[in-house]
Amino acid sequence: MIEATPVLLAGLFVWATVVGLDLVSLPQVMASRPLVAGTVTGIIVGDVQFGVAAGAVLELFAMESLAIGAARYPDYGAATVAAVLTGAGRPPVEALGAAVVLGLLLAGLGGWSLSRLRHVNATAVRRRTASLASGDPVAVRAIHFSSLGRDVIRSSALGALALAAALTVRQMPSLPEAGHMGLSVLVLGGALAGGVSGAVRSGRGTRMRWLGAGGVLGLIITAVMA
Amino acid sequence: MKAPLWRAFLRLFAVQGAWSYERMLGIGMGYSALPLLEELRRTDPVAYRAAVARQSDFFNSQPYLAGLALGAATRAEYQGVPGHKIARLRTALCGPLGALGDQLFWTGLLPLLMSVALLFTAAGWPLIGVIVFLVMFNGIRVAVEWWGLHRGWRTGLSVGMVVQRSWMSTAVAWIGPAAAFAVGVAVPVTGAWLVRTVAPSLALGTIGMAGLALVATRVDPRMTALRFVLVGTVLVFLWLGVRA
Repeated sequence: MIEATPVLLAGLFVWATVVGLDLVSLPQVMASRPLVAGTVTGIIVGDVQFGVAAGAVLELFAMESLAIGAARYPDYGAATVAAVLTGAGRPPVEALGAAVVLGLLLAGLGGWSLSRLRHVNATAVRRRTASLASGDPVAVRAIHFSSLGRDVIRSSALGALALAAALTVRQMPSLPEAGHMGLSVLVLGGALAGGVSGAVRSGRGTRMRWLGAGGVLGLIITAVMA
Repeated sequence: MKAPLWRAFLRLFAVQGAWSYERMLGIGMGYSALPLLEELRRTDPVAYRAAVARQSDFFNSQPYLAGLALGAATRAEYQGVPGHKIARLRTALCGPLGALGDQLFWTGLLPLLMSVALLFTAAGWPLIGVIVFLVMFNGIRVAVEWWGLHRGWRTGLSVGMVVQRSWMSTAVAWIGPAAAFAVGVAVPVTGAWLVRTVAPSLALGTIGMAGLALVATRVDPRMTALRFVLVGTVLVFLWLGVRA
């Protein structure tokens, strides 16, 4: 069992804020990808195996959505940190389902918060339309830095909420065996579908043939390894 | 001009920092353009203000290729190109840079390298997988970003030819199929590893659930795997309630 000390929570809070900011604003180095965020969180909490497993499951879900321009997409950064904290130190079969479901809920909430932030940024731009039209560099800098500041606030608030939710779920009584088995099947099946669905949605023709060829090779490797 | 180019390049890492539904990447582009327009500020303050206004206007493209437009449009400000032509250049670059960049990075390099990372993970080397992913993705991204800014700055208004004749179309042609192949390999291998890690007895149930989720996402395009699982979770809890 992992003990959630203040130092550990402070570290996770900083990491959740960093990955939240990395998604779009700065520096977009892909630290917010669930596999990366989950592995690092696993190292922080001292359960790398669970961090990697939760990160890999959420990564397959993340591969379904394209983080492109004006599209609304889930924010998996803080969500992954919360998922790993929820299940760290417990057997994956008992913890993975609930941890991933919490992660998916938080990812949806994160996506919504990003959309709201963009509306707020638009209001800030409209308020300074005259200065921008006159080519005032001070206005450009002010809008840029205030928008970055708003994303820091969004990411840290989301991070704090995610950690609070994870600690709450950790305190809850464990589900009966049928419950955690059912959730595990659901999230693992959903993750596999997410991984395939993302590839199917982003191409046709040649791309689909290569996806199929890769799938056959993947199944052969799986059979050999079994 | 090396130092201003470097400063603009560093600012491109936060080009989406002020992303809004009003101007999308516009403010980030304007902020990144300021070091490049510094010379103009000293020589022609009026032209400088007009340039800042133009560079901060609406702009949208894939962020890693935004440097190409930034370099070209700011260079054009020094070449005495009329303002409306520079504005038209920026608008004209939005579509191609968005489409090429999305195919190159979001539906190409990212799923390709992430699939490789997942395969490393399934083979028992998750840290190596994550490091390989981060180093390769960011190495290529930084190189492309620098190339774009530099090339745009050198060519100015004729940047369209650079986009047409560059390596990007060729790269897009092979990276899409490569990414699809890698995802095809990675999904079953990662799935099998996850089932082994969680509980091998769940294998058949997981395959069945994946099939069901896939059908649901194909039948209704609004039904993503994420939504499928959240709806399924409600059903699991209802079922547990009935059992209790």
